[in-house]
Amino acid sequence: MSTLVKIIVDGQDYEAEAGSLLIQLLIQEDIKIPYFCYHESLGADGNCRMCMVGIEGQKRPQIACDTLIKEGMVVNTKTDTIKQVHTDILELELINHPVDCPTCDQAGECSLQDFYMEYGLHTSKITIEEKVKHNKAVDLGANVMLDQERCVLCARCTRFTDKITGTHELGIVGRGDNAKVTTMPNRPLSNPYAMNVVDLCPVGALTSKDFRFSQRVWFLETAEGVCHGCAKGCNVYIDHNKLKYKDDTIYRFRPRRNDAINGFFICDTGRLSYKELQENRQESTLLNGVIIDTDEAIKQAKELIFLYKSNISVIIDANLYTEEIEAIVTFAKSINATIFSPLEVYEEKAFGDDMLKSSMRAANAETIKRMGINTQRPEKIGLIINFNHPQEFESDKKINFLTHSRESAELCFAIAVFSESSGSLTNEDGITQYSQKAIDKNIPIMTVIESIQRLGL
Amino acid sequence: MSFKFTQENLNKIEELKKRYPSPKALSLPCLWMAQSQEEFISLDAIDTISEVTTIPPMEIYRVATFYTMFQLEKPKKLQVDVCKTLSCKLCGSDKILKYLESKDVNINHVECLGSCGTAPVMQIKDKNYENLTPQKIDTILEELL
Amino acid sequence: MRESKIVSSKFHIQNAFNLHVAKEYGAYKSLEKMDIYAPQQIIQIIKDSMLRGKGGGGAPAGLKWELMPLDDKKPNFLVVNCDESEPGTFKDRQIISKDPHLLIEGIILSCYAIKAKAAYIYIRGEYKAYQNILQSAIDEAYEAGILKECDITIHRGAGAYICGEKSALLESMEGKRGHPRLKPKQKEPEWFFENPTLVNNVETIATVPFIVQNGADAYRSYGTEKSPGTLLFAMSGHIERPGVYEAEFGTNMLEYIEHYGGGVKNGKKLKAVIPGGVSCGVLTAAECEGLTLDYEALRGAGSSLGTGGMIIMDEDTDMVAALKNILEFYHEESCGQCTPCREGSGWSDTIVARILEGKGTEADLEKLFELADIMNGKTICVFAPSISQVIVSFIQKFRDEFEAVLV
Repeated sequence: MSTLVKIIVDGQDYEAEAGSLLIQLLIQEDIKIPYFCYHESLGADGNCRMCMVGIEGQKRPQIACDTLIKEGMVVNTKTDTIKQVHTDILELELINHPVDCPTCDQAGECSLQDFYMEYGLHTSKITIEEKVKHNKAVDLGANVMLDQERCVLCARCTRFTDKITGTHELGIVGRGDNAKVTTMPNRPLSNPYAMNVVDLCPVGALTSKDFRFSQRVWFLETAEGVCHGCAKGCNVYIDHNKLKYKDDTIYRFRPRRNDAINGFFICDTGRLSYKELQENRQESTLLNGVIIDTDEAIKQAKELIFLYKSNISVIIDANLYTEEIEAIVTFAKSINATIFSPLEVYEEKAFGDDMLKSSMRAANAETIKRMGINTQRPEKIGLIINFNHPQEFESDKKINFLTHSRESAELCFAIAVFSESSGSLTNEDGITQYSQKAIDKNIPIMTVIESIQRLGL
Repeated sequence: MSFKFTQENLNKIEELKKRYPSPKALSLPCLWMAQSQEEFISLDAIDTISEVTTIPPMEIYRVATFYTMFQLEKPKKLQVDVCKTLSCKLCGSDKILKYLESKDVNINHVECLGSCGTAPVMQIKDKNYENLTPQKIDTILEELL
Repeated sequence: MRESKIVSSKFHIQNAFNLHVAKEYGAYKSLEKMDIYAPQQIIQIIKDSMLRGKGGGGAPAGLKWELMPLDDKKPNFLVVNCDESEPGTFKDRQIISKDPHLLIEGIILSCYAIKAKAAYIYIRGEYKAYQNILQSAIDEAYEAGILKECDITIHRGAGAYICGEKSALLESMEGKRGHPRLKPKQKEPEWFFENPTLVNNVETIATVPFIVQNGADAYRSYGTEKSPGTLLFAMSGHIERPGVYEAEFGTNMLEYIEHYGGGVKNGKKLKAVIPGGVSCGVLTAAECEGLTLDYEALRGAGSSLGTGGMIIMDEDTDMVAALKNILEFYHEESCGQCTPCREGSGWSDTIVARILEGKGTEADLEKLFELADIMNGKTICVFAPSISQVIVSFIQKFRDEFEAVLV
């Protein structure tokens, strides 16, 4: 049983669990304190020495990440002494740090920059020749680039591969200021969650090869989305930007913290899945591979539906939003069509693991199941109206609503991907979430719901 | 894995395992045994040691890079460790270091060897050569090279 | 100067590392006391003797021994610290190479007292030649049936000064890099694979037989009130007769240097003394006047006794170069775990290099003092505070030499 006790920080009262870490309270209560090596998913390491605070009764400043909350503890984080300690230790972090900011991807989301503005503002007292030199632009594998000079040796990345993935690719070798992060020779970083170290790294030592040099982060806008790579429903930030004369583009996914689902991390496959939202898209309405006018195509679709009445199957992609699936079901019922969402195609046993990856590669499969939609394959039928399901089934005619291009002589409409609209979906654990619209295309592509509305039946 | 411990070393390992609460304690003893077999610590040896100690290879690699006395590359010349710390420096280690530059050996500037009372000193293959003079160095190296 | 041979009584005897020779001179006699005293009583005797740890810290050994739980919940271990890497220190190597059976005797008594069934001797990698002698002595003790209640295993280090720090030593023995551990908030024993462990210096353990054999009062008859007993003091550097010479605490430093060391080499004048291994603040010759070799006097003089390994510097010594030499040592040996030490040890070395090249400024001296402050009391272990002491003492006491080479 844990007990709540009262402590005082900077003259204010707070309540916290006895025996919990002081730094955890400071973070939760938004009491600004500099730190590098502590991370809520990795615990404390006590090596950066930045999180020093004054504790009444203790002669020396103590690191908050190694201080356990006790009843009546009096903490101060803003005295002149403590501020001086922060400034001094920060100066030591900076002494060998290369001033790469103009070319470093981390600029704008860099702890060192933030702390410098808050606690530092020192001028450099060391020449470039005197700084310790290491390797820059080391390809660690798994899309991660390492700059050993920028590293502050907080050991977050090495602790990640030790404690979280258990793959032990990264380690700090050498001694003293010769110490550096590296992999063993010919043993690259290689695990399904490797790119999380890029987020964990508080500075620009670990950067994503995929995102390198592509955008300055302060130009990016962010939407809160849900990854559609599998049924786990990991939360992501969708970072996008619309450059002049170009289309609104997603530049990366980052993990969004959700303690109930993915914690702090996402898998690399999910992280890079933003690419397919912008590649190989169905852009226009096609018939027999040739572009036709969308209104004309809608007319032809209505005619087909009338022609094949009572001989229609509607197939639904299990990646669509719940609202879209509901709309399709209502539409299908209104035209007396049978409804299918075959799920077998989404099963990928090799993909699933005991961390964040589910072997069900459809984000909203749970909704399909809950709505009692038939998950078997459909029999041969007259007309199939396919709302983005990946499989081809037997029918005389087809009407396809597709996000991505497909070889087809049939009538194919273009629909928006999930990042171009918003909606909800339910993950395999039954948690329902909302994914925000991120992209506003220059020429908007209609959503599933808009397409059904245009069919006007 | 192409590295194998000699039978003698394997026997030592089995004996040592009984003396510690965990096989992890054997990382240093195993690294020494591997270095005595091959004159350096190869990556294959690291993998073998990882199996013996149940410590991941990267951790063994990190341990090997932490200590001054482990070689991660096969030495091409005779390794001569010369102490450069204060007591030896006060007793003329600079002169000794300079003199050794004329010899065909690999000079390592190492920190205090614990021979301050008999400075200056150098260590070759675990043996100390103390109270050094250039003449003594000539005699010593003649025998070893 | 009273002759005080508590641990060095057999040093002059040839082959005292052989069991039959050692036995002729009284080796293992104190083991008889295990039939009279219970383990708790031996701990009490050690407490009463006020034996202080001889690894450089000088903390009361008995209080450390008392922290060991005696409830059999987990096995207790003894680790003997023979990592002796403090520059200027070469005393433990005398014990293990000249009278190893004394150490083994001390280990047996200590294990009995703290109910440990296994002891390890962590010996620095560079001491292989002496390790061989020690191992032979251990083998002899096994063969003769002397070693039966506890096992002794030698664990060889591989060249890292920081592994002399007791928590780093235990990390090293657990198969990892020698990174010192974060210190617990309350007094507790050390931990070896989560088992309670006592870590003591070689000389501390080698003193135990005398104390158990002759009693706490006999030990306290040597030395001073607060620093009882003796220490294997040593001298190196600009000294006529460098070496290790045991003396009781409270001995006058300059008299010791004259009597045992034969005074400064080549008749030169004394300029400075680093009293106990480089991690102690340097003392000017004037400060050594009337100074006695004990913990309290050295602390009062603004330095520390450390390991008692005195480094003698004569009038021609370049103090700036000496500081550079010491800072290079710290730069090389920092484990690199925490920021102030890792960066501070390197940067202070760089600044003094700059000063030596003739490019240093007043601001650089200021910076060195600032660094000394940052490295003091904010790190995981006491390695960095030693650097602070060194920097501050050298520049404060020899400021004119530093200022003479500034730009």
